[in-house]
Amino acid sequence: MVHALEEVRRVLVPGGVLIDLRPLADRWRVEVVSAGGMQETGRVDDLPGQIHGDVAANQSMKEAEGRGWFRREAEELFPFFYSWDMPSEMEEFVEEDWGGFIELGDETKMKTRSAWALADADSRVRIRVNILISRWRKL
Amino acid sequence: MSLQRDPERNEIKYLRHYADLAGKRVLEVGSGEGRLTWQYAKWAGAVIAIDPDVDSQRVAKVDRPHDLENKVHLSAASSEYLPFSKETFDLAILAWSL
Repeated sequence: MVHALEEVRRVLVPGGVLIDLRPLADRWRVEVVSAGGMQETGRVDDLPGQIHGDVAANQSMKEAEGRGWFRREAEELFPFFYSWDMPSEMEEFVEEDWGGFIELGDETKMKTRSAWALADADSRVRIRVNILISRWRKL
Repeated sequence: MSLQRDPERNEIKYLRHYADLAGKRVLEVGSGEGRLTWQYAKWAGAVIAIDPDVDSQRVAKVDRPHDLENKVHLSAASSEYLPFSKETFDLAILAWSL
């Protein structure tokens, strides 16, 4: 990762900008939403692969900053929702696409299915992914 | 499947808030199938979008909007060895790739 940052620095113009945009492991919230409102039904469980990825990425940026390659100018978190019509679709997606990074516990699955079944006909389920965006200036 | 990604379009809102794209030469690292690329490229001057996954690049080439064909250039490359010896960029975006 550090070498990739060195490469990016190499091709940026003097004073160029680097935007780092990535999801952060933070036990993302599972929610059921409808016109009537939103209900949190649990949280995903972060697996070691997800946590280690974050640690490695953060360390790489810290190292790049320490070497005087970039200066951080701004940073914040924002929500990025993955949304499905029904809980079974969410469960299938998490298993197939996010296996090894996060998982849904049985209690969260049950609470989500129950809340979705009792909610309005237009209700959907969603996972609130926390995205980190930061702006870095090439030094 | 009924999956919707970022229906509120928060990602492009934050990206535009954080980066002045107007007329800029942009390098996007980890462009995948172009989900984010197609959203911001209209404001940029030129975009080179790289991803090491050949299948994703193939999908991106098929999905590339017609009006972006001359503006967005796709390349199967790794961030560890950027295939540019003289080209430079005003802005680099690490798109879920660090």
